[in-house]
Amino acid sequence: MSSTTHSVESGAGALATIPAALAVEGLEVAYTVRGIDRAVLRGVSFSIAPGETFGLVGESGCGKSTSAYAALRYLPSNGKILKGRVMVDGNDVTKMTTDELQRFRAKDASMVYQDPAQAMNPTLRVGRQLIESFTLLGQSKQEALSSALEALRKVRIADPARVMDRYPFQLSGGMQQRVVIAMALACDPKLLVLDEPTTGLDATVEAEVLDLVRVLSQESGCAVLLIAHNLGIIRALCDRVGVMYAGKIVEQGPSSQVFDDPQHPYTVGLLRSLPRHGVRKTERALTTIPGILPLIGTSLPTCVFLDRCPIASDTCRTVEPPFVAVGFAGASGVTGERFTRCHHPERIKEMKEEVTQVPISVLAPSETQPNVLELSHVSKTFRQRSVSVPALVDVELGLSEGETLGIVGESGSGKSTLAKAMLGIETVDAGGVVSMGGTAVPSPTGSRSAENKRSMQMVFQNPDSALNRSWSVRRILMRSVEKLTGVKGDEANKRVEALAAHLRLTPRHLDLKPRQLSGGLKQRVAIARAFAGDPRIVVCDEPTSALDVSVQAAILNLLADLQAEQKTSYVFITHDMGVVRYLADRIAVMYLGRIQEVGDTDDVFNGPNHPYTEALLSAIPSVDGEEKVRIRLEGEIPSPANPPTGCVFHPRCPRAIAGVCEVTEPPLREVSPGHSMRCHIPIETLIELQRKPMQR
Amino acid sequence: MSEVLTLAPDATEAPIVSERKQARRENWRLIRKRPAFIIGIVILSFWVVCAVLGSAITPHDPLDFRAGSHLSPRAEFPFGTDATGRDVLSRVMAGARDVLRIAPVAALLGVIFGVILGMMMGYLRGWFDTIASRIVESFLALPVVLIALLAVTTLGRSSWVVIGVVAALFTPVVARTVRSAVLAERDLDYVTSAKLRGESNLFIMFREVLPNVMGPIIVELTVRVGYAVFTVATLSFLGAGPPPPSPDWGAQVSENYNSIISGFWWTVFFPAMAIASLVIAVNLIADSVQSVMEAS
Repeated sequence: MSSTTHSVESGAGALATIPAALAVEGLEVAYTVRGIDRAVLRGVSFSIAPGETFGLVGESGCGKSTSAYAALRYLPSNGKILKGRVMVDGNDVTKMTTDELQRFRAKDASMVYQDPAQAMNPTLRVGRQLIESFTLLGQSKQEALSSALEALRKVRIADPARVMDRYPFQLSGGMQQRVVIAMALACDPKLLVLDEPTTGLDATVEAEVLDLVRVLSQESGCAVLLIAHNLGIIRALCDRVGVMYAGKIVEQGPSSQVFDDPQHPYTVGLLRSLPRHGVRKTERALTTIPGILPLIGTSLPTCVFLDRCPIASDTCRTVEPPFVAVGFAGASGVTGERFTRCHHPERIKEMKEEVTQVPISVLAPSETQPNVLELSHVSKTFRQRSVSVPALVDVELGLSEGETLGIVGESGSGKSTLAKAMLGIETVDAGGVVSMGGTAVPSPTGSRSAENKRSMQMVFQNPDSALNRSWSVRRILMRSVEKLTGVKGDEANKRVEALAAHLRLTPRHLDLKPRQLSGGLKQRVAIARAFAGDPRIVVCDEPTSALDVSVQAAILNLLADLQAEQKTSYVFITHDMGVVRYLADRIAVMYLGRIQEVGDTDDVFNGPNHPYTEALLSAIPSVDGEEKVRIRLEGEIPSPANPPTGCVFHPRCPRAIAGVCEVTEPPLREVSPGHSMRCHIPIETLIELQRKPMQR
Repeated sequence: MSEVLTLAPDATEAPIVSERKQARRENWRLIRKRPAFIIGIVILSFWVVCAVLGSAITPHDPLDFRAGSHLSPRAEFPFGTDATGRDVLSRVMAGARDVLRIAPVAALLGVIFGVILGMMMGYLRGWFDTIASRIVESFLALPVVLIALLAVTTLGRSSWVVIGVVAALFTPVVARTVRSAVLAERDLDYVTSAKLRGESNLFIMFREVLPNVMGPIIVELTVRVGYAVFTVATLSFLGAGPPPPSPDWGAQVSENYNSIISGFWWTVFFPAMAIASLVIAVNLIADSVQSVMEAS
């Protein structure tokens, strides 16, 4: 690293008048894999002031979690710190003895992990674990008990005594994460590290946990390091943000400035690959970042982003870019807060957002042709011992040719069961009919005709699970082509190659095993497999939620292209409102196995909405930083085994009408052509209510 | 612009293709670096050479050599001689043949049947799994050696009977291991995908799932070979092995253990050590295979 770079980076810390709660300086970390050191962090520097929230974003494999673990010396046994310092309160964490480190972790720093269930001991009651974190600090049993109750109250748990008496598995994910946060704050830490704290949670719960973190960090004045891949979360919560790429921070600054006026080509690419501002597939394709993230441990060129950068110059190829201070376009000159690791920040403006694709023509749903897929009175009741659990209740849906039907809802709403019922993986209750092209099809799948199997295929959420890891890509595709189309031998091979080319897989990829491919390539193989028999309908179960945003953009583009060409219909299950808005023509919102609202995408996003949809839409943290009024939902999703009386949403509904909603279940009624919802409130009243932002 | 997920082919080709080869090579390098593996291989190779070449490399004829009876270890007879004056060293070397012929075959058969049973239990679940699991559990509760001895005495002493009995005793143990590995696989989406395109259960079990559970199966096989050596030696000690003139280790120990009291320890000590060394060697190899498999 050049000396100029160094001076700028240490200058970043010196500018702050208060000593930083955490200062990471030139951190280099490597993992030893099969005896070889592979560099993961290549000189990471940042500092967090007391009371400040700092976010690290970037795609998977860029080193953001490693930075957090290294800061608390929680690296796995094969990870080691090669260089750099981690200063907390004047002490270098990298030089601490085991005893000092233990004291540091007990008193000064806490960490909250992605999965709260794994952070707690499943065999001990919540209360005992929480009390333990206080007795460890030297409190007596009695003191610890009252501290624990107080801590739970602090994380907005209404009935702490009852929660203390429960085992972790008896609490919902959101509740578990609150308890974990309460434990983390027990020692009143100077530094709180949150590693993807809401990734496993539903949107409405996520919003609440994020609110909580915001309030608590202000109350306690501790410094917060937040790791997240969701740019919206970072924007909503963080004062400053560092954008990481290939083990380096490439851009750093106040989060609103970084997201509104990015100064590094990578940040620009990241932001552009998100479906934002209500963009639809009919308007344009999403922008992607060309190339792939360099593999961990590979030697990198002068600039880590060089190979994927559209504005790279000869200077970039020969001189390592320094970490330079830049000005914010809106402010006057350099503020001393913003830095980019780029030679040409002034040329960022040249990165035009290309609209390379002609808008995709959408087929008008034809009135004469029967729907390609139709569900009528479809219910599914699981039996657990003698209790019946209704997972789907009287679902009515139609899907026309070339249409994308988005299905949204929180976990447990029955989205996946609905997909399984369509595909015949689950048999539906008597009286329900699944029909394709006007004829009823049987379930399970095995009893369907070859033609029916060919016509409806599925793309799964996780390509690692969906592709047989011991088969080559060629074998995976070959088997599906043979099985679904009936062609064999050379002809099948030709089809496989054509299919692969269509999905932009090179012939070289065909002879690899899935684990040799990146996440995006794996998902392409999975999509290719679904398209092996020219299906009429493809059910996509969160196909991009395991992928990074730039890869997600490419996959969404691909799905839109395939649909435009082949007039395939999609059933698209997702929890990401931005994605569903981009891709879907119609959206169905599910809650407790029932469709609460269904309508054209524009209708659903513009309202009026079912109160549940309204809450769901308001919970999404926006990367654009727009001011939204959050609608808080009280309580948790009830158990499907014991659904509430009347409207199943009434216990959590902020607009419930007393004496009506808890008595009778509203029917799914049409409020405007093609837009139906299951709500007692008259549509005129809903329009009126939703025009004005609700009071908090 | 939408298609650009990959770099130009030239840029990524080399690292991706070589990565897998490299992983395999490095696994091999890792296992070779383990002293336990080297020691195991050296001991095992020694016994394999003895078993293959037999009396061709023994210093004396293992069956018919009339030196003085019960000569203590000395230069000419490093392991001494037994009651009938046969050279113990030659008998120990030649005795490797029986056990090395029977034990691996028995272990392999046990693993094959265990894989079939365990695969069906884990994949089909339902009533088949419930019934088979109970049977497997009851088998595991039986004393192995007693059952084996009973079977050999009723069915006859041939080595095929020993192989069959040991294989049958190992089947439930292997089945249980395979079942739990298959349970983790059957809920993965590639199985659902196979069902969606109409594959038969047989195809899914043995073409889709089996390759993915080979790791634990290979580990199980190496472990089972060790147990088989032990069981076969025990059976022949109890008299279910090959008949007297044979230099089988278990038989030697059982023939001579009375003479320990008279101080002729070498007639029992060396064959017993041979059994121990082979079991230990196989287990050292099994441990190394297991830890390298688990690491990758």
